Amino acid sequence: MNTSNQTLNDVLAPPKPSFGGVLKQRLFNTPLDAVITIVCAGLLFYLLYNVIDWAFLSSIWKAEDEPLCRDATGACWSVIDARHRIIMFGLFPFEEHWRSTVACVVMILTIVLSCVPWFWSAVRLGLLWILGFGTFYILMHGGIFGLTEITPERWGGLALTLFIFAAVSIIGMPLSVILALGRRSKLPVIAKMVGLFIDFFRSLPLLTILFTAAVITPFLLPGWLQGDKLYRVIVGFAIFFACYQAENIRAGLQAIPPGQDEAGLTLGLSYWQRVGRIQLPQAFRNSLPAIVNQFVITFKETSIVTIVGFFEILASGSAAFGTGQWTAHYIEVYVFIGLIYFIFVFSLSRYGAYLERKLRVGHG
Amino acid sequence: MADNKQSNTPAVSMSAVNKWFDDFHVLKDINLTVADGEKIVICGPSGSGKSTLIRCICKLEDHQRGSINVLGTELNDDIANIDEIRREVGMVFQQFNLFPHMTVLENCTLAQTLVRKKSRKEAEAIAMGFLEKVRIPEQANKYPGELSGGQQQRVAIARSLCMNPQILLFDEPTSALDPEMISEVLDVMVSLAEEGMTMVCVTHEMGFARRVADRVIFMDEGEIVEENDPMTFFDHPENERTKLFLGQILAH
Repeated sequence: MNTSNQTLNDVLAPPKPSFGGVLKQRLFNTPLDAVITIVCAGLLFYLLYNVIDWAFLSSIWKAEDEPLCRDATGACWSVIDARHRIIMFGLFPFEEHWRSTVACVVMILTIVLSCVPWFWSAVRLGLLWILGFGTFYILMHGGIFGLTEITPERWGGLALTLFIFAAVSIIGMPLSVILALGRRSKLPVIAKMVGLFIDFFRSLPLLTILFTAAVITPFLLPGWLQGDKLYRVIVGFAIFFACYQAENIRAGLQAIPPGQDEAGLTLGLSYWQRVGRIQLPQAFRNSLPAIVNQFVITFKETSIVTIVGFFEILASGSAAFGTGQWTAHYIEVYVFIGLIYFIFVFSLSRYGAYLERKLRVGHG
Repeated sequence: MADNKQSNTPAVSMSAVNKWFDDFHVLKDINLTVADGEKIVICGPSGSGKSTLIRCICKLEDHQRGSINVLGTELNDDIANIDEIRREVGMVFQQFNLFPHMTVLENCTLAQTLVRKKSRKEAEAIAMGFLEKVRIPEQANKYPGELSGGQQQRVAIARSLCMNPQILLFDEPTSALDPEMISEVLDVMVSLAEEGMTMVCVTHEMGFARRVADRVIFMDEGEIVEENDPMTFFDHPENERTKLFLGQILAH
């Protein structure tokens, strides 16, 4: 038994170095290394301690009134307790906040469900989003089923942020696929025109596009085509999003060897069959990191709509401390909003990482 | 109806076909007829236009002059039903070109369900039949990236066969393979030939050519230089360029 173990050990790979060994080799190899390590570690602990002290040890969680916070050296979290309704709901009528809450849950559920592979067919995704958007719209807008009507100008907070993000994604993704395919068209006219379209919108700041959509298009479009300001802004945003995303997808398409399409051709597949079954699945896999990146950027960029007068969550937050007694506690409000952004964007990034692992099946 | 056509018309007939890549005259006055059930091997130095020639047969390349008839239908820009001819002509590529995001089985069923409108169950049964024929049914649920080159090429052949093509084109099917994998692919091709499949193969596997070809065609600089039955072609080549080429590839 012992001897057989011995021989087995001989052919096994050498043991991995111990944790302590790695630490010593990496961080304390020379006296200078040791000094740098100790200084950096000291700095890190100092910063961490201060943050923890501010956020937890010296903070006040529950105060009846703002003045009680004035003597505290730490955070005054009671501002969140007192003003969270404005942060989360903006200008939405107080007694209807439940509608906005349910609408948020519906939207989050729709987004999460569309990340589940089972839903990945045009029919299922389509149904899911029609249902999701429909429920969201009925809850937010009202006007039927005995719900009072609330026009989009009064939507705000998290619900508005989620709505803009979801709507921009759902309009922008199909558009980006069409633009990417168009720019690779064999017909020079189409390729050139799509290329010009993409380069034109990419060259403009998002701010300009949103301003144009909100303020200038009403002068250019007939009344029945204008729609609400919110929808014009979303369409403008979606075009901007699609132009960037199209280039990501195009990069993924370029990376596919031409033999893939030729194999599809010789099997008798039509253009759309080759695009749908062979090119796009591979393009999405190729440029997944860049595609997720664009979603992350877009989620955070939704805050820019405040400039054309919408109270999405960041603007609602500013309103929460901007008036009355809580003016001094903007840091707490921003930390709170930052956390909300973090939860969404971090989940998105982790989902992207999961997708990359899942799609790498069979690719070593 | 297709059977009727087969007995009367050749599988492929090319007459006075010319093709240019920009200024480069890649095919010069090609005349070639492939009878139903015939096996043809095309060889020649690289750049001689042999791959371009068979790519013209399934219209992966356009020709500029002359005419190409495949299964009784002329290939030109007017025909909207080019896909219909393509699905009767299978092609096996040097680089296999399997779809990497699909399993072996999905590779074989995709076109059956989309183009032939077969049910998934039926398509899978046909696919398994051909995977057994190329002797890798046990790999059906793996992805192409998990297979060796020889296995991938056999899957590619099975994928083509699933469409029940009337002509099978091979574009240097063994050139990208490690030497020990070449014979497993050639064995499959030989058994196909013995079953009477119409085949046009661009290959330098001269043993294969001797064994199965009805005719061997030698191309150089875009022309068909020599064309003969394998015995005569290898043992008594007529043209100087053929002799030089055969000397080079058979030297060792």
